[in-house]
Amino acid sequence: MPSLARHTLFIAVPLLALFAILPGVYNNHLLLFNFVIFLILAQGVNIIYGFTGYLPFGYVGFFGAGAYGFAIMVMHFQSPAPLAVVVAGLVGVALGLLLAPLLRLTGAYFAIANLAAALAVLHFVANPALESITKGPYGVALNGTFNPTMAYNGALIILALTLGIVVFLRNSSFGLALQAVREDAFSASMAGVNVLKMRMIAWLASALVAGFAGGVFAWYVSVFYPDNVFSADFSIFAIVFALFGGVATITGPIVGVVILYGIYNLIGFTTPQYFQLIYGLLIIGLVLFLPAGLVSLATRRGWYVP
Amino acid sequence: MSPDAVPILKVNDLLKRFGGFHALDGLTFHVSPGEILGLVGPNGSGKTTAINVISGLYAPDRGDVVFDGVSVGGMASHKLVHRGINRTFQIPKPFLSLTVRENIAVALAYGRAEVTPPSTAELLVDFHLDAVADRPASELNSAQQKMLDLVRALATRPRLLLLDELAAGLNPTELDWIAGRIKTLAKSGMAIIVVEHLMGFIEQITDRVIVMNAGKEIFEGTLAVAVKVPEVIEVFLGGEHAA
Amino acid sequence: MLAYPLIAGLLFGLYFSLVGIGLNLVFGVMRIVNLAHGDFLMLGAFVGFGVFYLAGLDPLLAVPLAFAIFVLVGIFLYGILIPRLQQSVNPEMLSIILFFGLSQVIEAVMTIMFGTSERSIPSRELGSLISKIGKLLGASPEGGPVVILGQSFPAAWVISAITSVAAIFLVYVYLYRTRLGTLTRAVMSRRDEALATGINVDRVCAAAFGIGLALAAIAGVFAPFMFGSVTPAFGADATVTSFVIVVLGSLGNPLGTALGGVVYGVCYMLVQTYLSSWADLLPYVLLILILLLRPSGLLGRQVRVA
Repeated sequence: MPSLARHTLFIAVPLLALFAILPGVYNNHLLLFNFVIFLILAQGVNIIYGFTGYLPFGYVGFFGAGAYGFAIMVMHFQSPAPLAVVVAGLVGVALGLLLAPLLRLTGAYFAIANLAAALAVLHFVANPALESITKGPYGVALNGTFNPTMAYNGALIILALTLGIVVFLRNSSFGLALQAVREDAFSASMAGVNVLKMRMIAWLASALVAGFAGGVFAWYVSVFYPDNVFSADFSIFAIVFALFGGVATITGPIVGVVILYGIYNLIGFTTPQYFQLIYGLLIIGLVLFLPAGLVSLATRRGWYVP
Repeated sequence: MSPDAVPILKVNDLLKRFGGFHALDGLTFHVSPGEILGLVGPNGSGKTTAINVISGLYAPDRGDVVFDGVSVGGMASHKLVHRGINRTFQIPKPFLSLTVRENIAVALAYGRAEVTPPSTAELLVDFHLDAVADRPASELNSAQQKMLDLVRALATRPRLLLLDELAAGLNPTELDWIAGRIKTLAKSGMAIIVVEHLMGFIEQITDRVIVMNAGKEIFEGTLAVAVKVPEVIEVFLGGEHAA
Repeated sequence: MLAYPLIAGLLFGLYFSLVGIGLNLVFGVMRIVNLAHGDFLMLGAFVGFGVFYLAGLDPLLAVPLAFAIFVLVGIFLYGILIPRLQQSVNPEMLSIILFFGLSQVIEAVMTIMFGTSERSIPSRELGSLISKIGKLLGASPEGGPVVILGQSFPAAWVISAITSVAAIFLVYVYLYRTRLGTLTRAVMSRRDEALATGINVDRVCAAAFGIGLALAAIAGVFAPFMFGSVTPAFGADATVTSFVIVVLGSLGNPLGTALGGVVYGVCYMLVQTYLSSWADLLPYVLLILILLLRPSGLLGRQVRVA
């Protein structure tokens, strides 16, 4: 069996099946929904950081823009929710196109510019001057579309799409070429790879899934403020989850989300500052002792990690 | 090669400035299919800049690069690769986290489309990389990285190959062996430009050399003649006493 | 009235230069992105609170104290974090994540110890020692606002600006008139060559890291006077602002930061005065524009684009 089929059958399908069944046996649906959202975002970070090396420190910008794309479609155009989710994805892509010039920057410059871009979008959306369009800082309340069950299923479809993209990248020369670009752009172009086009495709794919995720998030929660959907925690968590498991693999970000978001929910809510302390120490330890993630424990021994 | 062969690459009056410094200052030359041309000259004479312009890293400030009858000066590198130009790097930059096999796979998949790609197995054996085929490129020694860089170039099926200091750092046995490989490639019809400091190696493989100084050609002909030309001697001995 | 925003902008700008300069020194010397920079400002502010509320002294005395403490803290942190970080594949990128973790730890520890309340010091207390000494010498005490070109400004702003100029001058003296400073510049321009010539790069970097953090801390002492109040969560915003200032001047060129600070300060005050509802957007948009249009900053030479 080719590895593409194997990875789909033994990783993507079981994971999706698990999250399709879980709501029937476990009552905390919000928690399950958040797991799905973070699986999408961590894999979205994987697409742009793992495969092309751009650290999207402002990744939440796409998510928040998607959430507001959804809200505006529903508030101003009375759009049905599924259509509004599609538009949310397109809003993510549009923001990706707008920010495409940032891809000219490398390393820390890109990460910082991307962070600034996300904050700029937040302050733009939250500006009281735009109250008639975005409700400004006062937040959005969507009544007509509230349907957590449908929104959860929508999130699963987006997770399926995201996993599909990552499985494709892990098993195609397209994915290899992206990694080649990450390692050395000029060498990659001398292998015949159109560096600018490849980067752009990865960037927009990653923006698309985050925009979709923002859309279903808005659908699920229905009431939110700019600070909720543009919270830097989304970017940071997604990056740390992906990095903790190991990027440029299919399984790494999944393992990262399951372990770290699991820990978060065990200790997180009661005492946020203690959680923040543990989290910070965990991040420091991760970078110092396991910079290539958990999967590197296996790859170091020469084992193949899908 | 026959003297009346049609050149595949013509470089006309190339000028490349970095700030006020003229790295190339009116360079003109040509190379034909099957020919091995040496580019020699002291450090800073513009050899590597010439290769960088021909391979699309820099656009020329003046002049033109004509490849197979088409003006390609300033064209994006990957397009040049698709037309049949490739190169190696003085300091090879393989895709370190990918395995040797994956490094080659990228070039095979994205190289020149009209030609059947060579087989990975053959390339691995021909350039002594079969034993490390499934190791990450970061684990190769520097000679192996150079070979991988060359294989990456060859996997794209080039018609013109630019070799930037391929021989530096290889031992005498490896040198003889790689010289044989390069000659075989030329016999198959590939045009090859070699930038090199090792004069013995240049003498062994080139049909013709261009001696460069300060971004210009100061001599063209065989190396045997070149070493008797006073201007050439002056450039090599006057500029660098160690040469 | 254009005079007020221009002069206030200049005073703030000189102070902003001090806010950013440590971040730039650390990046310039080590290619490390100190995402915890703002948290060291916050810690410096707490040194000021300690000096005033616990010892009952002029907060200005916290400046030398904070400097001494954070040089040592910096050298200590350098020893445990940086050599390990430098061994990794991509130190520049991972430093962003590492120092994000550190910033979480600092913020969490300070929240646990001091809570989330906003803290400030009455503005007239800054420099109280100077007016006392002045009184002893028979000069007329000038406790109130300072009048410049017919506009009056809080004395604390003027004292902050003067201290900032003095600190930046001392950084200049360090870099251009001392042996360690000369070696620091050598490492900044060609790290690999500096290593090859046998310079003790670790010692140079540890010193630069300590000084970088200490400069942030002394800027922090003035933060309650410039921004009104400080909480343990103050760090994150301060980091982004510092980045804007540093990138404006030129990343990697500490003295360029002085220019970046002044430009930022004047822009900030002008937008506050004439376009206040959009003032929040300014730093981010400015940062992105500068990175895209002139990635080397206003004074920079080398360009960092892919």
